[in-house]
Amino acid sequence: MVWRAVRATGRLVLDLLLVPLCVVALLVTVVTMVLSATYLGLVLLPFAIRLNRGVASLARRNAGAWLGERVTATYQPIRGGVLTRVRVATGDPQTWRDLGFLALHVVTGPLGAGLALGLWGALGWGLSIPLWWFAPLPEHAIHLPWALDSWARVAVTVPLFLGLVGAVGFRVVPLVAEGLFRLAKAILAPRHVRLAERVTEALDAHGQELRRIERDLHDGAQARLVSIAMRLGIAERVLADDPAKAAALITEARLSTEETMTELRDIIRGMYPPILADRGLPGAVAALAARSPVPVDVETAGVGRLPAAVEAAAYFVIAEALTNVARHSRASSAQVRVRRTGNRLEAEVTDDGRGGADEDGGSGLAGIRRRVSAFDGETTLTSPPGGPTTLRVELPCE
Amino acid sequence: MRVIIVEDSVLLAEGLALLLNTEGHEVVATVGTAEEFHRAVAGHRPDIAVVDIRLPPTFRDEGVRAAIQVRRDHPGQPILVLSQYVEQTYATELLAGGGGGIGYLLKDRVARVSEFVDALERVAKGGTAMDPEVIAQLLVRRHAHPIDSLTPREREVLSLMAEGHSNTDIAASLVVTERAVHKHVGNIFAKLGLPPSDSGHRRVLAVLAYLSGV
Repeated sequence: MVWRAVRATGRLVLDLLLVPLCVVALLVTVVTMVLSATYLGLVLLPFAIRLNRGVASLARRNAGAWLGERVTATYQPIRGGVLTRVRVATGDPQTWRDLGFLALHVVTGPLGAGLALGLWGALGWGLSIPLWWFAPLPEHAIHLPWALDSWARVAVTVPLFLGLVGAVGFRVVPLVAEGLFRLAKAILAPRHVRLAERVTEALDAHGQELRRIERDLHDGAQARLVSIAMRLGIAERVLADDPAKAAALITEARLSTEETMTELRDIIRGMYPPILADRGLPGAVAALAARSPVPVDVETAGVGRLPAAVEAAAYFVIAEALTNVARHSRASSAQVRVRRTGNRLEAEVTDDGRGGADEDGGSGLAGIRRRVSAFDGETTLTSPPGGPTTLRVELPCE
Repeated sequence: MRVIIVEDSVLLAEGLALLLNTEGHEVVATVGTAEEFHRAVAGHRPDIAVVDIRLPPTFRDEGVRAAIQVRRDHPGQPILVLSQYVEQTYATELLAGGGGGIGYLLKDRVARVSEFVDALERVAKGGTAMDPEVIAQLLVRRHAHPIDSLTPREREVLSLMAEGHSNTDIAASLVVTERAVHKHVGNIFAKLGLPPSDSGHRRVLAVLAYLSGV
């Protein structure tokens, strides 16, 4: 309980340090907004909003550290021409939430920290009670219901005071921290926004997937079957008159069916790889590893069977990661670790390559991130220049 | 040959039976589950069993498991496993029991009737028939691997050898003399550091074991 109060105090004091930053950011924002009647103001406004985002991110990090979870928000990227930037920056609802938080924090920051520091001040004051009695101080300096005029009374008063202040303070301070940081999270990382974004992303991804499968089947397998049927139909008609032509048509039809089967197999593999259905994630990952040009060490103990959607997501993420390892990393070996802790599935792909993996480099990492976030999961990529590169994803699996 | 078909899809089972009958083989039983497969092998002692991988009740890899079990109970029973997709993992498991008479092919291959019947007869005689796609999966190998030192022709020979073809077959399909094939095989074994091996199942096993890094 004491340790929690200490931690809460630390976090609240850090929050207090943010207050001057909030004030600066608010002032800058207000000034640029006033100036935005002019061109200069329009140029500066996105920068002011970036400053807000920076301060808000620090507040998020602090709140996240106390709450023990990641507090994140998705911003619209500020890019493009002057007017576009202003439009994006002011059109992002999170901009206004940030501003609201900054203004609120100027009030709540000092209050929370004041309360926490007050607790420790009161405890210190309590400890100093004996000195007050012992030292010749003016009697009116101590306002207690009874006079402190003997060691016996001091011996009762000090523990009583410390106990009372401690019992209340050690409970209240963490509660206040919890309340304030939850409030911060609610404003800075609103859940409905996160969920709505994820649902939209998931639906988008799903829709694209369905359209891709439809196109593949329509332009591929279906068209081939039509051509096969036509060839067989013609062969049937000419069989009696021109057996050689019929034989050639039948051969063409057979070749076409073989191509169709290959194509269907590829489509099925892209939807839900059969080995995943047969052997679950451990078997499927082992098969991926066996197929990788870079030697892969696999650890999947205790993973067992999971919901099909989660297995497929994890499988495609690992497949994509291993493809990246083979294509870009110049690694000599890689490791895949899949673990299940409680209701979360963690998958980690590490290679000993040259590092410096770039999210925007068309390496499929954006796809991985989208796939994972559709499940309300987390993706972390660490890839310092010189390596090693580690891609880590966490997926809820219940 | 006397053949049993283990295939739960009536459509495919009938097609297979038609094909085998046309080629002059006798289908002595057509069954749809792993247990029936067991009983049919014990009852009919067929020359070969053609088995689908996905069988009831779970439609996963029952066929592979059943094939391994049947081979444990009836050592040497030739089995040709058919599937809509191939995984080298399954190939390794099927071959792990040792002994010849194992085949593992994509169902697509049935369409090339003469090649399919060749493979069937090869397996029935105690040989091996591995799908080219299994070999392709195995050949996606690491950088700086001895396989890279093979010439394109030697790679072709290696693939055909791993699929289970004899030197005669390889010579025929590459349109070269048998002596030339023999020389390629010698070179391949030397480059990969494998002990020279005669033709037949043991050679296939050695090559497959080498390719799957066992």
